[in-house]
Amino acid sequence: MFLALKEIKHEKLRYGLVIAMIVLISYLIFILTSLAQGLSSQNTSAIDSWQINQVVLNKDANVSLRQSFLTTQQVNSLKQGKDDALIGQAAVVVKHHNNSNVSATFIGIQPNQFIYKDMRLIKGHKVNQPNQIVVDSSMMNDGYRLGQWVQLNSLTQKYQIVGFVKDAKINISPIVYGNLSDWHNISNLNNNLAASGLVSRDRHYQVNNSDLKAYAVNTFIKNLPGYTAQNTTFEFMIGFLMVISLIVIAIFLYIITNQKLPNYAVLRAQGIPAKTLVINTISQSMILVVSGIGIGALFTWLTSLVIPAAVPMTFNLPVLTAVACGLMIMSVLGAILPVRAILKIDPIKVIG
Amino acid sequence: MTSLLLKDVSKTFGRGTAKVNALTDVNFEATQGQLVLILGPSGSGKSTFLTIAGSLQTPTSGTVMINDQNVQELSAKAREKLRLNHIGFVLQSYNLVPYLTVKEQFKLVDKVKKSGNLSNQKLDELLTLLGIKELENKYPDQLSGGQSQRVAIARALYPDPAIILADEPTAALDSKHVEEVGQLLAQLAHEHHKAVVVVTHDLRLKHFADQIYDITDGRMTREK
Repeated sequence: MFLALKEIKHEKLRYGLVIAMIVLISYLIFILTSLAQGLSSQNTSAIDSWQINQVVLNKDANVSLRQSFLTTQQVNSLKQGKDDALIGQAAVVVKHHNNSNVSATFIGIQPNQFIYKDMRLIKGHKVNQPNQIVVDSSMMNDGYRLGQWVQLNSLTQKYQIVGFVKDAKINISPIVYGNLSDWHNISNLNNNLAASGLVSRDRHYQVNNSDLKAYAVNTFIKNLPGYTAQNTTFEFMIGFLMVISLIVIAIFLYIITNQKLPNYAVLRAQGIPAKTLVINTISQSMILVVSGIGIGALFTWLTSLVIPAAVPMTFNLPVLTAVACGLMIMSVLGAILPVRAILKIDPIKVIG
Repeated sequence: MTSLLLKDVSKTFGRGTAKVNALTDVNFEATQGQLVLILGPSGSGKSTFLTIAGSLQTPTSGTVMINDQNVQELSAKAREKLRLNHIGFVLQSYNLVPYLTVKEQFKLVDKVKKSGNLSNQKLDELLTLLGIKELENKYPDQLSGGQSQRVAIARALYPDPAIILADEPTAALDSKHVEEVGQLLAQLAHEHHKAVVVVTHDLRLKHFADQIYDITDGRMTREK
């Protein structure tokens, strides 16, 4: 550590450039991770808030709530306890002459079931009459206010916003909660259809109907349109950036270490153990990366302060800490190449 | 007391037609309080001698004793320790760590050799003797060639070794600095009771030596 710190202090420009590069890489990784987290949470925030474990859908719906319809007979065959709730989903466009149109997802629920009961509003009250809706708080950014009567799609019936709820998004679109009976009207369905699906907090929810199937919530989420493709893309980008950071750190340390080999050879000749030089290289790598990550994290934090609310970014500290740890592991791996060069130093070469 | 003894030492590199005898039946002895000069032209085997005397490599045959320890019987790690504790190297170049001040060059030794180094008072005396006390906070690139070499000598002496092995210590110096370094090496041998072995082709150092060996084509003969 002594040698590492002294060298960095003395060679400010050289190591400053290495740190600057690590700052840029870590900043990019942090921002991408936050963006991935933000988008991922916008896909699932409503599902997360329901705290469900199983989703029952029509087995021919290809694990998609949008394609699933449950008939009254099928719904009657399902157990509906305190941990189970029926939902009806419909794609809607929310319109109000003062505000911009919002593409949203209508979720019809029943007042006697847990989604309704556990709903935590940040403004207003829950739906207690027909033609009332509670909407995601992000719609406030589009100018929607409590008491406004809005139009859904091209329906003549208007709906009044009576409450705002936080983190109510599914598949990136904001949720409009309303009565399951309103879902019928909005979707223009016949009376034989009772819901799109049933969600349950019961891990072992049993379905006794051959036309229906219960899916684990993770399976359901993975099948949300675009969800897996989007997450995989981000995971690959972050993974590649990690590998690139590993290569860049390894190359820089290798070049810097190679330039120092004659000095190291003299130190080895003088009896300085290889272990000391190896520890020096690894600690130097750690100092560079920790400094780079620290500054990168600072930039990320500053970005979080100025980024517009519309940008879907979530700065999740445990996740970013895990990413930072990943980068540190990469730096230690990156130090292996120069360490190999140190171990192969032949002190004889500096004499004669 | 004999500090360094080489008996019938030979070193061969390569095999068959590519075989090179770098050293042939070398017998050498250096005792404390003596400055021993080994003179020879380039390619004469001086460097091979120095690396074997400094336990950086072992001979093909013969015996090397350093402070009564048979070097061939020691592990690589033990040889490393032997170098750290008993041998001070003064090399031609790259002697000093470029990003450490003069003071920090000694601190580095403290980091790996926790005890047995010169006390602060003795180090101060040594730096004063070498005329580099005021250079403590300078980096190697702020020193002249002569100053660098004197710092390198101080660095080699700091772990208080019994033997100093110097490889062409005056190679880059003008006559004035050669005189200074020569006097200093003689002083180290005579006043500090070190066995100082200098490998060089610089004849200007001859008059400082207590013993002189000539080396040509790997064969060593005693001149004085």
